Amino acid sequence: MVFDGEEAAHGHRLSTVVPSSVTGETNYELSDADLAFKLHYLRGVYYYAAGDVVRGLTTKALKDPMFPWLDAYHPVAGRVRRADDDLQAAPPRPYIKCNDCGVRIVEAKCDRALDDWLRDDAPDRLTHLCYDKVLGPELFFSPLLYVQITKFKCGGMALGFSWAHLIGDVASATSCFNIWAQILSGKKPDVSSLEPANTPRDHAPAGAPPPRSVKPVGPIEDHWLVPAGCAMACYSFHVTEPALRRLQQQLSHAGSFELISALLWQTVAKIRAPKEVNTVTVVKTDMSARSGKSLANEQTIGYVETGSSPSKTDVAELAALLSKSQAIETDAVAAFPGDVIIYGANLTFVDMEQVAAYGLELKGQRPAHVEYGMGGVGEEGAVLVQPDADGRGRFVTAVLPKDEIPSLRAALATTLLLRDA
Amino acid sequence: MSSSSPSPPSPLAHLNRLKPMYQYVVNNFLAMVAAPLAVAALVHAARVGPEEIVARMQALRPVHVFLAAFVPAAAATLYIMLRPRHVYLVDYACFRTKPNCRVPFATFLEHAKLVTFVEGQSIDERSVRFMTRLLERSGLGEETCLPPAHHFIPPYRNLEASRVEAESVIFSAIDDLLAKTGISPSAIDMLIVNCSLFAPIPSFSDMIIHRYKMRSDIRNVHLSGMGCSAGLISVGLARNFLQVAPRGAHALVVSTETITPNYYVGKERAMLLPNCLFRMGGAAVLLSTSRAKARFRLSRVVRTLTGAQDNAYRCVFQEEDGEGHRGINLNKDLMTIAGDALKANITAIGPLVLPASEQLLFALSFIARRVLNRKVKPYLPDFRTAFEHFCIHAGGRAVIDELQRSLGLSDEHVEASRMALHRFGNTSSSSVWYELAYIEAKGRMRRGDRVWMIGFGSGFKCNSAAWECISPARNVDGPWADSICRYPVDIPEVLKH
Repeated sequence: MVFDGEEAAHGHRLSTVVPSSVTGETNYELSDADLAFKLHYLRGVYYYAAGDVVRGLTTKALKDPMFPWLDAYHPVAGRVRRADDDLQAAPPRPYIKCNDCGVRIVEAKCDRALDDWLRDDAPDRLTHLCYDKVLGPELFFSPLLYVQITKFKCGGMALGFSWAHLIGDVASATSCFNIWAQILSGKKPDVSSLEPANTPRDHAPAGAPPPRSVKPVGPIEDHWLVPAGCAMACYSFHVTEPALRRLQQQLSHAGSFELISALLWQTVAKIRAPKEVNTVTVVKTDMSARSGKSLANEQTIGYVETGSSPSKTDVAELAALLSKSQAIETDAVAAFPGDVIIYGANLTFVDMEQVAAYGLELKGQRPAHVEYGMGGVGEEGAVLVQPDADGRGRFVTAVLPKDEIPSLRAALATTLLLRDA
Repeated sequence: MSSSSPSPPSPLAHLNRLKPMYQYVVNNFLAMVAAPLAVAALVHAARVGPEEIVARMQALRPVHVFLAAFVPAAAATLYIMLRPRHVYLVDYACFRTKPNCRVPFATFLEHAKLVTFVEGQSIDERSVRFMTRLLERSGLGEETCLPPAHHFIPPYRNLEASRVEAESVIFSAIDDLLAKTGISPSAIDMLIVNCSLFAPIPSFSDMIIHRYKMRSDIRNVHLSGMGCSAGLISVGLARNFLQVAPRGAHALVVSTETITPNYYVGKERAMLLPNCLFRMGGAAVLLSTSRAKARFRLSRVVRTLTGAQDNAYRCVFQEEDGEGHRGINLNKDLMTIAGDALKANITAIGPLVLPASEQLLFALSFIARRVLNRKVKPYLPDFRTAFEHFCIHAGGRAVIDELQRSLGLSDEHVEASRMALHRFGNTSSSSVWYELAYIEAKGRMRRGDRVWMIGFGSGFKCNSAAWECISPARNVDGPWADSICRYPVDIPEVLKH
């Protein structure tokens, strides 16, 4: 089944939510690490089953707590500007002006039932539930966050967040959304102070080679979109706990992230043969290593290289490489001047296992399902490994070129990943 | 009154010292004349001697004595019965804006820009640039509020959304007022609502009666199309009603403007200004002829209308532009016409409120101009002798500047107007009430202070009301409760953004 026309979300109605009090003349400086991610957009969808709680959550009930929420997160309601006085760099360095311009809210309807939608595993179901916009061509007027509220025919609801990666990584985004949910439920959460990022450190010299984890792209002016290569699509699937345990017994006793990534590495390499996929990027979220700032890009970025072709290498070996032989390049990526893409420069594996996505409880109701995808991914693709609803299995979203998706589906159906015991 | 300064004092300094003496003499002229006469009479009586006075009184005829007692008593009674009843303001309440209606400068601009991309709307780049320049110089702050329907792209302008806005503003203000005064809705004898630009059926006054279950013999009126000075017209109307109503009757006046249906989507520059300036607001005022619990006394309502002239009539005109979009066209010579209307109003209210000293000076300067020399500057009556506080309708920065200049007022006098414009925008007929609330929230109101409310509106009308304070507000509760600590603010010429 393909999503289009009446079956997808329709009847979009846009409005804006602003902070409830005046922020004043404040700027939020973006660090080098932030700016490295400027071409990427997190797309996260939270699904809530129909019931009394969801029925009571009118759009107004969802919007009202956002006003005090944005007081604490005022950079999210700001807009990107370029510094006027930075005459050396061309174009000048971007920063966020906290002018209270606001966050865009999109209301939509879907004529299908929620369960029906979730059972359907056609690609790109994420894109219909997250407003698909990027920053630019007019940065002055481009919101950093879109929240789409989609009501299903059965009474269920989906919240789709489209978050510009430069304000913060997935851990910052999920804790930001969780704070909103706490305000909605009547609590008064304590938001750690919003410290502006550190002042820019020395950049690498102009002629230096780029880090292996990233790919430089031509100077991006004001339309922050990855240069068009081929069309990408998101495909999501669930690795149940029994399946995961079976994999660990049969293939390798590595961690779940390494195992799933290794399996997908091999699968994608086979699909792309004869083109080699010898280098992959690994992006990890380590909650213990974070500085505690409310908004920051603090994921570790590194790459893993294999000498032999991954399609012929053992999954256990690939998993071992992923867990032990990662070359960390986080600082080098931040120090590299110029515009880069990180997700999709090489086939990228994103470890989201420590991210508390299911913490977005609306008036005590946990989401039935959460899935995160990414917009603005390069041609090599990205795979996001996330916790599932009960925390013991894993949910995987693969962002790959559209023509590779059918092969991926076929391959997954035959491997151990999707076959239940 | 002599000073021992070494240098010879200038003539102007002399005049400035003499002026208070002059004012005292002229304003208390009767007393100044009566006092010596009374003293002379007493002296004469003392000289004549008490026995002689008693003998003269016994010689008086009874009819003379009767007339001497009866005539003054009758005259006094007739005077008391026929004079107009005093009308008092029991209390007033303004709509408190909610933070979820807030529209920062950047958001307003972004919405105006984005509406250009939505199905066939007419606002273009030039219009957006024009609105940007207007907003930068408008004197509006970052906390003004628009109704929730205008937070959508494109904004909702339908009947249902308009009713929702009207109900939320009006009911909130009336609830506040009923709580403040402790009065029951069934004690209200007259209800006047003024809202110029939105008048559905049933009217707002019927809507209020339905909501608050008021009496079936209440007199209710909805005034529409009367412009931004309609609040003072309603007060005047209530005053007239209270002259013939039973003693102690109550009249509720509600002033508001509904923004929702009036968003202009065309590109005529003269019609874009209202989009930028008008904001959500409303006020509810309770008037009565009973002095119990009253806070102000209404001393004068003066209405002047210059609509007989073509340019004044067409100055603020609601019409459809070339593309069929409806909006309010503001003429270029709005300021000149406003100035003329103000002069007409001052000429009417001046003799009623100015002390005799100012009126004498004005008359003398008038004669001097006519008789002696045209070059003699016309004397600008000093209205600060008649009023302590000024509530000038916050129609826009230019209006307030023009009035400050015409009336010779200081920055402190127009502070209430400027700050109300900054915090609430142009809330049309209720802006004078927000300004009064500012003065009271700042603690500047004293018993006996006189307030002048001036409103301007389409027509072209200039209406004034003069109040005298009986008892100032006891606390800061009201629309300014959260923000008064931040005011006054310095408003830049051009807002940086």
